[in-house]
Amino acid sequence: MSLHALVTHNSIARRLVMMFSLAAALVFTVTGFAVYSVQRMELRRHQFEEVHIRFEYVENVIAHRVPNLEKWSIIQEKLAELTSPDGSLLYMVESNDARFQFGTPFEKGVVTDREDDGIDRITLPDRTYLAMSKTIPALGDRPEVRLTVAVDPHSFDTTRRILRFALVGFSLLGVCAVAALGWWITRRSLAAVDDLSRHAQALSPQKLGERLPQNDLPSELSGLVLSFNGALHRVEQAYAQLSTFNADVAHELRTPLGNLIGQTQVILSRERSAVELQEVLQSNLEELERLRCIINDMLFLAQADRGMRAENLTRASIAAEVALTAEFLDMLIEEAGVTLEIEGDADALIEPALFRRAITNLLYNAIQYGARDSVIQIRIAKVDDFVSIQISNHGQPIGNQHLDRLFDRFYRVDAARSDSQNSHGLGLAIVKAVAAMHGGTVFARSDSTLTTIGLTVAHAI
Amino acid sequence: MMKILVVEDESKTVAYLQRGLSEQGYSVEVATNGIDGQHLALTGDYDVIVLDIMLPGRDGLSVLQALRREKNTPVIMLTARGEVDDRIHGLRSGADDYLVKPFSFLELLARLQALGRRGRPQDNSQLHIADLHIDLLARRATRGTRRLDLTAKEFSLLAALARHSGQVLSKTVIAELVWDVNFDSNTNVVEVAVKRLRAKLDELGEEKLLHTIRGMGYVLELREGSAGEVGQ
Repeated sequence: MSLHALVTHNSIARRLVMMFSLAAALVFTVTGFAVYSVQRMELRRHQFEEVHIRFEYVENVIAHRVPNLEKWSIIQEKLAELTSPDGSLLYMVESNDARFQFGTPFEKGVVTDREDDGIDRITLPDRTYLAMSKTIPALGDRPEVRLTVAVDPHSFDTTRRILRFALVGFSLLGVCAVAALGWWITRRSLAAVDDLSRHAQALSPQKLGERLPQNDLPSELSGLVLSFNGALHRVEQAYAQLSTFNADVAHELRTPLGNLIGQTQVILSRERSAVELQEVLQSNLEELERLRCIINDMLFLAQADRGMRAENLTRASIAAEVALTAEFLDMLIEEAGVTLEIEGDADALIEPALFRRAITNLLYNAIQYGARDSVIQIRIAKVDDFVSIQISNHGQPIGNQHLDRLFDRFYRVDAARSDSQNSHGLGLAIVKAVAAMHGGTVFARSDSTLTTIGLTVAHAI
Repeated sequence: MMKILVVEDESKTVAYLQRGLSEQGYSVEVATNGIDGQHLALTGDYDVIVLDIMLPGRDGLSVLQALRREKNTPVIMLTARGEVDDRIHGLRSGADDYLVKPFSFLELLARLQALGRRGRPQDNSQLHIADLHIDLLARRATRGTRRLDLTAKEFSLLAALARHSGQVLSKTVIAELVWDVNFDSNTNVVEVAVKRLRAKLDELGEEKLLHTIRGMGYVLELREGSAGEVGQ
């Protein structure tokens, strides 16, 4: 992985190492250049100074202490001593009087570049001199002479070259060192990412509870890992819900299907009278109708799961809608010996058919489980941006362990009731789906006397 | 006789629809793909067309659109997907009604009748079944000389059954006709209502008129030798 990362184009390690190297090269170049320039200027100053010192010394002597030929011959000897044999330091004295001459002047026409401080750079085919010339006025018998001092800056140039070479060399070495260190640092820092990727590879549908390790992570990664783990959690929940749902569906369909198959096989295994056949067909039809209802309801719930919202919304008075629904259940209310009380009102955007279906389910439950001669209270109130519809009935309390799961598909508080023809455990799940389709939610609470179940819908979607 | 075109590719569905509708007195023609279906729908003269959405050749919605450009034959769409947007799409594109598969045959019958009746003058306001007399305008029902003391909903139920006398109405159809509830409510409202109506309608010694067909629904008619039948 690590080597691979370095050669892959789109690799953070590679990119960082490249960046480090580039930055290092830039920094080294700039500093190297600066150091080189400063040194070069220093060297030049030294060279000029040397020329000046040598020139001024001889100039002083000639100007003030050489008034005649006698003195001149001493100076001549002195100059011969000072002149270095390798030609790196030359003294020249020119004069109209042939006796007051020294050294061989540069030929006329040599390349001469004027530098600062009265110094010329003289380039000969084989070497270069920094030279300074000045005319010294006559003194006594001595005529006017022109003194030239020429210094070969060869040694300084060598120093400069070595410096340049060293600077370039060390810069290159430095860039390489930064690249290597950068690579090491990056790999070390990205080890956490490799680690995460190994963990992520090990994730599978068989181990849905697995999460990426969250401890000891660099802060830059912990946010990502937290979100990723959050996503895993949601997937696990959805997966768990889906698989229990599938299992529940299979279970719910198994019983009626088993009945249908068995019953039909039994009846077909003998000669039967038309009456008997008719009876079995009718019984089969009852089961089939039940299956049809379950399938249609499940299709409905599946749509709600996919996030479908209610359409054909109309603004309606919730109290009026509830009253209309209650009218449908009127006879059941009478038979159960309960009375309804509707309290409050608010309007909301609803799809009436869906909304009535939810209220039917809630009211039907309240009627079935409400105590005889009790009152079923329906409270409608606008709370913030929602309209809440609470339906309370007096009766057996529902245990806390059931309240949370009340709206789950096929969940029944009392397993014995599951045989009822009119219930297949989807009623409250449908209420929940309808609430969700209207941007609302469901709630349930129960104490020793009163059970309240209800839903909210968005006041305006 | 009402002429019906069924456009549906599932052979078992076609078989039972053809048989069931023919026995109910309809003349049935069948197309098993969208192309034939569209051809027949455009060239034939039908009272109602039953049109599946998922069809080989051409899907039901485009058949419907092609039909609507030329004709106003009432159409009932069948949708297997059960998606509400399908329904709305279906109705907007000119369908008169829709049924979600799996649908009940009784419901289809009820819808066919409703569409077939559309546009015809409302049948007279007086209904007679054996010695039962119903005055729809005065909302009054009498059996022989006995005046039936019915609540408003009980009367609506009796009227609905009487209008479809001889035809089995499922609980879902009854809920829709009487209460305008168009979903499977999974309640026993209809059972309770029928029980109450029956108690007032068929008194001891009178011939039973309101019969329960187990698994199917209810029918209001005079049956030979029905005295021994056990009501539910």
